[in-house]
Amino acid sequence: MANKLNIVEAVNQALMNEMEKDETIVVYGEDVGVEGGVFRATVNLQKKFGKDRVFDTPLAESAIVGTAVGMAINGLKPVVELQFMGFSYPAFNQIISHVARMRNRSRGRYTLPMVIRAPYGGGIRALEHHSESTEALYAHIPGLKVVIPSTPYDTKGLLIAAIRDPDPVIFLEPKRIYRAFRQEIPEETYELPIGKAKVVEEGEDITVITWGAMVRDVQKASEMVKEKGIYPEIIDLRTISPMDRETFIESVKKTGRAVIVHEAPKTLGVGAEIVAIINEKAFLYLEAPPTRVTGFDTTFPLPRGEKHYIPSPERIAKTIEDVVKF
Amino acid sequence: MRFEDCNPIGDKHYRILDFDGNVIREEDIPSFSDEELLYLYWTMLFSRTIDEKNISYQRQGRMLTYAPNIGQEATQVGSAYAMEKNDWLVPSYRELGAWLIKGVPLKNIFLYWYGNEWGSHMPEGVRVLPISVPIASQLQHATGIGMANNIKGEKNVVVTYVGDGGTSQGDFHEALNFAAVFKAPVVFIIQNNQYAISLPRKVQTASETLAQKAIAYGMPGILVDGNDIFAMYSVTKEAIERAREGGGPTLIEAYTYRLGAHTTSDDPTKYREDEEVEKWKEKDPILRFKKYLKNKGILTEEWEENTKKELEKEVTSTFEEIENKSDTLIEDIFKYHYETMPPHLEEQLEDYKSFLEGGR
Amino acid sequence: MKFEFRFPDIGEGITEGTLMKWLVKEGENIEEGQSVAEVETDKVTTEIPSPRTGVVSELKVEEGDVINVGDVFITIDTSGEVDEIDKKEESVEKKEIVEEETAGVVGEVIASSEEIPPSTEEVVLSKKPDKVRVLATPVARKMAKDLGVDISKVKGTGPNGRVMKEDIIKAKDAMMKSKEESKISQIQYEESILVEDERIERIPLTRIRKTIAEQMTLSRFTIPHTTAMDEIDVTELYEFRKKYKDILIEEEVKLTFLPFIIKGVIAVLKELPEFNSSLDEENDELILKHFYHIGIATDTDRGLMVPVLRDGDKKSIVEIAKEIEDLSSRAKNNQIELHELKGSTFTITNYGSIGGYFGIPIINYPESAILGVGRIVKKPIVKDDEIVIARVLPLSLSYDHRIIDGASGARFLNLLSELLKNPEMLLLKS
Repeated sequence: MANKLNIVEAVNQALMNEMEKDETIVVYGEDVGVEGGVFRATVNLQKKFGKDRVFDTPLAESAIVGTAVGMAINGLKPVVELQFMGFSYPAFNQIISHVARMRNRSRGRYTLPMVIRAPYGGGIRALEHHSESTEALYAHIPGLKVVIPSTPYDTKGLLIAAIRDPDPVIFLEPKRIYRAFRQEIPEETYELPIGKAKVVEEGEDITVITWGAMVRDVQKASEMVKEKGIYPEIIDLRTISPMDRETFIESVKKTGRAVIVHEAPKTLGVGAEIVAIINEKAFLYLEAPPTRVTGFDTTFPLPRGEKHYIPSPERIAKTIEDVVKF
Repeated sequence: MRFEDCNPIGDKHYRILDFDGNVIREEDIPSFSDEELLYLYWTMLFSRTIDEKNISYQRQGRMLTYAPNIGQEATQVGSAYAMEKNDWLVPSYRELGAWLIKGVPLKNIFLYWYGNEWGSHMPEGVRVLPISVPIASQLQHATGIGMANNIKGEKNVVVTYVGDGGTSQGDFHEALNFAAVFKAPVVFIIQNNQYAISLPRKVQTASETLAQKAIAYGMPGILVDGNDIFAMYSVTKEAIERAREGGGPTLIEAYTYRLGAHTTSDDPTKYREDEEVEKWKEKDPILRFKKYLKNKGILTEEWEENTKKELEKEVTSTFEEIENKSDTLIEDIFKYHYETMPPHLEEQLEDYKSFLEGGR
Repeated sequence: MKFEFRFPDIGEGITEGTLMKWLVKEGENIEEGQSVAEVETDKVTTEIPSPRTGVVSELKVEEGDVINVGDVFITIDTSGEVDEIDKKEESVEKKEIVEEETAGVVGEVIASSEEIPPSTEEVVLSKKPDKVRVLATPVARKMAKDLGVDISKVKGTGPNGRVMKEDIIKAKDAMMKSKEESKISQIQYEESILVEDERIERIPLTRIRKTIAEQMTLSRFTIPHTTAMDEIDVTELYEFRKKYKDILIEEEVKLTFLPFIIKGVIAVLKELPEFNSSLDEENDELILKHFYHIGIATDTDRGLMVPVLRDGDKKSIVEIAKEIEDLSSRAKNNQIELHELKGSTFTITNYGSIGGYFGIPIINYPESAILGVGRIVKKPIVKDDEIVIARVLPLSLSYDHRIIDGASGARFLNLLSELLKNPEMLLLKS
């Protein structure tokens, strides 16, 4: 059986499916219980599974993550929500010092099968801290997994995989496209592999690597450049850490050109790592330098300046053309 | 009862033994057998021996930086003895006595301070978390473990420790707040040894006592003479029972003194007076307990002599066992970050191994 | 302007509601912000305020009806107000896509019922590359570009066939060399050839002549030629031939000296195979041929042609005589076929019939040697310390000095000399 869901509904269905099967899964965070989450991602969960398993906490992100560490050590599978990625910073210490390290620190004696969910990314005309895209900070830390879906189908499959993963996963949801479109997805449970990218569109001329909400913008840019005879191969990375290098390396070996698109700031963003990997693994196949299209090295602007920041399809298309012409 | 008696606001310390080893609260003395009493004393001696040996090894260049527990044996041994086997111990880094009571092998302790992660790999059944370096962050984990017990309907309790310095950290506040809101079965023990490296307790907070912070969170709190092993034991026991019966968390301030340095890299003469230290040396918890035991006729000098010798031998032989054999295996550096090593890590490991083998 | 008010998602992620009560009437003047209806959803019952000032044009649903988010439920006649919101509404009209603004407590998360196709989740690894890509570092690629070299045509000598900077430089040099050469000939051309004078006659080159010119140039400029010469006393051979040539004429066989020379040459080639070879410069290999196709350089009115006697070692002297007669006459009569002019492994050029003595013949590229045969003359020679008259055959052997040293050249002539001096030996070694 299939149903047409958008991304936030896919999150909800994933949680519904998995919590039904696995009693050790608990969901908590700010406003996730009674209200069902400010984006309604956890709506109806408390009704179905009760206050013991789905509950609201006092306003303390460090505690949300820190107690999740304790819960995971004690045999539960916490799936906690941080209301916005911009509010994950108070929990940064717990995430980096403990979530990422507990397994290694104890040589596998204590492991943390937990998920930290947070809406991320800009484009919703909000206040400061509600448009953050700092996945590079977390991807840089050994011991964490960072997953970013781009469609409802991927969201459900990847979130289920994250919940089942024996390692801690930071699951970032592109909130700009939470409700932007629907997709037919199975009602039943299914899993998609973490650590595997997806070729969204095949092409011969240039490889474009991206993730999250930017996938749609890259697709729009692709239509634009196709009119000029350029056929990009679009790769949705889906997992930032551990990254599926093989897929995009094979692609770059085929096309000889690469463009990486992300909304996060340019310097030391995930794009920089991808460029480094391409240089290491596909250097001799390159016809042009791998190029990034990203947000600026500035704080994300308030709504009136927002439109300049996130790479537009036009900006992406222009870079694709420039790289092809190199 | 004790808690009503010793309102945490105010300076009244709860104690059972006075400084000369005489019982002042007869009704509160725990009913220990002679064996148990000697066992407790033995454990305190063990802790002291390990500390002194490690400091010596460090000065000899055979041991890395070490954080001794000297002066805090009663706080640690007394409180930990109140725990059951399935109760969880969530330490900071200065709880040697508690570790010993909970059954952490000496080898693990040495391996940790010697610089090998396997020291934190507790044997199956030993519910002790690894040492937590970011100050007070472990309190959140303790609360989480407690909350999970409630969800699972399990009746074991979490005992967690923090220093006077740690009470200033945000995590202290958040963890106690959560624990009280969710009635987590956690016993929070502050080892107030009067110093956070060089910062005296008076400057750490404007609160009169640390125990009184419990009132703000809506949980019971008590200020205890940390060097009185009986007081530590009975107060902790009461708190554990309350938690186990669903009564929620408790905050215990154990008022003690750090007779040694913060770590072997610290020179306390830079920030405190020798007189002060000498005064507290007279109140050494081991001496105090010894007096009680001698009064009761349970302890002989001969027994103490022999025990100290045995303990010294055990410490030395265990240390020599791990000394020079505890280099970290290269694979171990990579293997434990994920359940399955991802390809990029495998590649890095292989590259490094072939580099070492003189390969390309 | 008619404004169509669509039922909004009032921020709770709802999809439909029930219109409980209308609060305005058709034709009524309403202000922006004024409540127009009471709507019940499964979250709340709420009043919906009008986003426009104007006159209520049409109430599109009845009280008690269920309306979906996005349905137009009331239209308002706004008198000529043009505002940005209208523009946005219009531009957003495509295939029933409903765009609304849904708050996630802060900001606006756009909600839409646009649909994307279901996923085809076979994670497809990009297809194997069809074209062979050139392996080259970016530095090499830039160098190629700057030098105007087509990198896909450069042979790579680096690891895995990588095109290295040296390869590009070599390719460039090759280009330059041919450019240089053409430059030099350009100068000569200009200086001596582009001359205007009425005493000049311009004859267009035939194709054959052009080919010969190219071949001669190629041979001379590629192969370092050296020529060894010798005079052979063929008095006995001369008598031998005289004895039999008339008999053979009756068998319609014209017996010249050439068949004997050919046989002798083949015998020598078997012993000195480097004279029957080709140099493969690209692979640094010397190709020895163990078959013997002798090219017979023939003068025709169209120019020099070299018909080929194939497998001369397998034929008798009489058969050779017949065949070369046939080849020669057909060449002269332009009846020779193209394949008969190809494939020689060694060439003999017999200018003696016209009257030359010694010569410095040019090797028939890509062979390694050529034998020039001059006219047999009567000449005094020293034999047993006495001067006698002998029939002397002059031979000129040009060979490729890259693969054949002077000693070998001398050896060739010596061996051939032994055979031609003594017909019986020639017979034995045939």
